[in-house]
Parts: sequence; structure tokens; C-alpha cells
Amino acid sequence: MGISATSNMRAIVGAAGMAMFVAAMSGSLAAQWLNYPTARVPRTSTGSPDLSAPTPRLADGTPDLSGLWEAEKTRPCPRDGCQDQQVGEQFVDIGWGLKGGLPYQPWAAELVKARRAEMGKGDPISHCLPIGVPRTQFSPFLKKILHVPGLVAVLDEQNMSYRQIFTDGRPPLADPYPSWNGYSTGKWDGDTLVVQTNGFRDEMWLDRNGSPMTDAARVTERIRRVNYGKVEIEVTVDDPKAYTAPWTARINHFLLLDTDLLDYVCLENEKDVSHLVGK
Amino acid sequence: MRALIIAAQAAVLALALSATASAQWLNHPTADIPRTPDGKPNLSAPAPRTSDGKPQLAGLWRPSPGLTGDIARNLKPGDVPFQPWAETLYKQRRANNSKDDPTANCIVGGVPRSDLVGYPFKILQVPGMVVILYEAVHAYRQIFTDGRTLPENPQPAWFGYSVGRWEGDTLVVETTGFNDKGWLDNAGKPATDQLHVTERFVRKDFGNMDIQITIDDPKAYTKPWTVTQPLAFQADTELLEYICNENNKYFELVHDFGK
Repeated sequence: MGISATSNMRAIVGAAGMAMFVAAMSGSLAAQWLNYPTARVPRTSTGSPDLSAPTPRLADGTPDLSGLWEAEKTRPCPRDGCQDQQVGEQFVDIGWGLKGGLPYQPWAAELVKARRAEMGKGDPISHCLPIGVPRTQFSPFLKKILHVPGLVAVLDEQNMSYRQIFTDGRPPLADPYPSWNGYSTGKWDGDTLVVQTNGFRDEMWLDRNGSPMTDAARVTERIRRVNYGKVEIEVTVDDPKAYTAPWTARINHFLLLDTDLLDYVCLENEKDVSHLVGK
Repeated sequence: MRALIIAAQAAVLALALSATASAQWLNHPTADIPRTPDGKPNLSAPAPRTSDGKPQLAGLWRPSPGLTGDIARNLKPGDVPFQPWAETLYKQRRANNSKDDPTANCIVGGVPRSDLVGYPFKILQVPGMVVILYEAVHAYRQIFTDGRTLPENPQPAWFGYSVGRWEGDTLVVETTGFNDKGWLDNAGKPATDQLHVTERFVRKDFGNMDIQITIDDPKAYTKPWTVTQPLAFQADTELLEYICNENNKYFELVHDFGK
């Protein structure tokens, strides 16, 4: 079930499979913030949102990616009901769905084995560090996409972080300053926004298993809004230091209506790290 | 190379970037801005306007230095109308060199403190919303300009809940819904959950904007008071990714001087 009903309370399932944060909000308080109706939603004849309506377009005719988006919940829900922000399979293993799994270099395979044995206690996001690109596409936290001339900006609920994708025609940089989000440039290939990113810092994690990404990585995201309610994203990671061949992971994002981003400040009253003991 | 000045005056962290690597990122020319014949940004050109005739606020801005340390720096002594408890707390924070400053633990500065901090921020204008992307601790803030009113009892937050409207050429932003943990400046002037901030964004010309900030917090101050933060347009540069809690050495420093 991709489209989540608006809930008065959003359970925030945190970084670790073992660590769950529940944002303790009273329903009535949160409701005021979260239940503001989204404007200009196409409706069916019965008045309900028409999520399969055509892809909206900007004045220049390119697809409009604006909106509040949530990654597909690719894990079955627990028997007592789906968590609102439940992690998906690819959050745990970004190679989920790839035949044969990820093509790790030998050292990378060893590292993942060690990190899994430690239950991922070194995962940067469990320490309130950035999730980075491209892992953010597989995170259960909501993202809001904005278009302004020459730029696609993504507001990420996780850590109240953001990302800039320059769409003004500038070329990628040869050797950008290293960062968690890298340096992203985008251009339209038909109705698909193709985003190229390089300039990553070293020693990033792509998933809970600890699949590494190095400073040699180049990431290509192909982002296509197929209709009003759905975006399809293909993420290709080309990191010859860590993987023997480029590989591509896919995920759908679904539009959320009548709700909004919350201020999520991971470092505030953080109680998780002391429990990350590994084994 | 940009020196990053963290919360307390005492601690200055320099981000060690290679000049060549950062130059690539930071030196992209800003498109569609007025320039003088020699190619430099014409900062005294008129303020640009959006298609609906309102002043264009979008762009990369940097607060002029001065108010980060002391938001009341340009007021006369005694002009901050502290409630007695707030003044006592403020003096305690002065005496211990602000060692409990939330931003020292890489928590967001919130409103209005984020207006003052001397790192660049980028203002985006989209239909129904103004968004500010802050370089400092890599955070953002949403200001809803779609006509909605302030919620009566929003979820308490560092940035509160902001709505904006135009009064002539001034964007007036009202914010409530704060938690009770905010600091207004490095010096430690307190704010409470009763804080109501009014920010008036006045773009004076292409290169200059003022934010007139009115602090109305009857729990902490006996009456509203107002300060003005000038902003300078930043041409031909960009936001950097500033991750405060990566290798944060603040507490090693602060515990030495905070006694």
C-alpha cells in the first residue's frame, strides 16, 4: 500500500532495525500541523484525490516533481499494522531485488560481513550523521521536492536536511569538495530527470548492512513522475573501488497529501547511541 | 575558504578545505543578476521583482556580522526588557560562557537566531511557500505564504510554525509554536514557548535586505522589542555542506572555559 492515509500521529522508525523512535505527540497537537489540505489536487468524480491523474507539468512543459513523497514500503507490515514510516527492504539491503546481490569487491564483502555481525552499530545515521545520496531515496523519511529556476531542491525530514540538484545546465565538477550529498547536476531526458552526482566523502554507508560507498563513486538517478501520485527512481552506483561493476537499484515514491514535514532534530535528547553495543 | 564560526565566541573552527577543491564548488557565477560593465555584481541595482510584482527575495544571503553574539548589540543598555528570572538566567549563561548553548550540540538555532548567524542561507520562493536553506547545521525552514493562518497550538519546534504575507513590498512573517528551549543569541538571552516572532523582510536594493525582528515573549520579556539584521547578497558562490556533529570538538573546548 503506497499511499498512506493521513495519520494524526506519525511513528518515526529510526535508523536501526533494533532502535525505534516514537515521536511522542498528542494527536490533537500534531493534527494541526499535519492535517493542512494540499492545494490543487486533481479529484475523481466522487471527490477523492485522483492519484492516477496525468503527471503535472511546469510552465516549460517539463514534469513537475513538486510534492511530498514517501518511499514505497517494500516490507510486509507486521501483524498489528503497518508503521507509518517503516523501513523498506532496500533500507536494509540496497541490493534487494538484484539477482545475485551486490557485486562487492572482496574487501567490501568482508566489511559488510563484519558490519552485519556488529548489527550495524557504526551506521552514520544512528549517530545523527547525514544519510547522504543515494541512500536517502530508500529512507522512510518524507521528502518534499521544490522547483525554482535552475534548481531542484529536496527537503528531507531526516535531520531537517536538504539537497540541491542544479538544473541550470552547468556541467558536473571534476573534483568537488567531498560531502555526504555530493555535487548533483540534473538534466531532462524526455520526461526523466537524470541526476549525476559525484564528489562524495569516503566511507559512506548505502544501507543498514553497511554496504560501502567510496569517494570514487558516481551516482546516476533517473527520476520519472509517471502520474500524479507516483515517481519511479532508478539509482545506478558506479563505484569501482567498492564494486566490481556498476549496479542499479529501483524504488517507487508515492505522493502524500494533506500532511507535511515535521521538524526532526536527531541530536535532541538522543538516547540511542549508548544502546548500540553490537554483540 | 570560509571560516566557520561556531556558537560561542570563544571557539572558532576553521574548515580545512583545499582552496582548489572548494573553488570549483564555490565559484559558479550566479545567473541573471545585474552586473556593472566590469562584470562585478551591481549590488546597488534596484530590487528585482517576481512576475506578480512583489520583491524577489530569492537568492543567497549572508547576515552581516554583529548580532549573533548579542542580538541587542545595537540597542541601548537596559533596552532588553527582561523579566527578572530571564535576566538571572541570562547572567548565569554569561558567567559560564554559554556552555549549555544548544547549538554547541549542533541543534538548530531556530527562529530568530538563524537570521543572525553569519553563515549564508538561500531563500527560495515557490507558489505558496518561502523556504530558507541554511548552511549552518544544514537545516531548512518553511514559511507558508498560501494564506493559511497560524495554528492555535502547533507541535512545539525549534523553528516554530511560520506563515508569511505581503504588506506592500515587505514580507511579514509571523512565527509561533516554539519549544521552550530557544536561545536568541550566543550570549544566552532566553526564549520560551510563548515566543511570537514577527520578521519583516525588506529588500532595499539588489544587494541588501533587512530583517526587522520583533520579539514578543511575555514570559521572558515585559514588552515586545525589535532589532534589525542586515543581510548582504552573496553572488557567484554557493552553500557548502556544513555537518556540525561530524568531528565536533566544541565540548572539549567548552568544558575548559565553561567553569
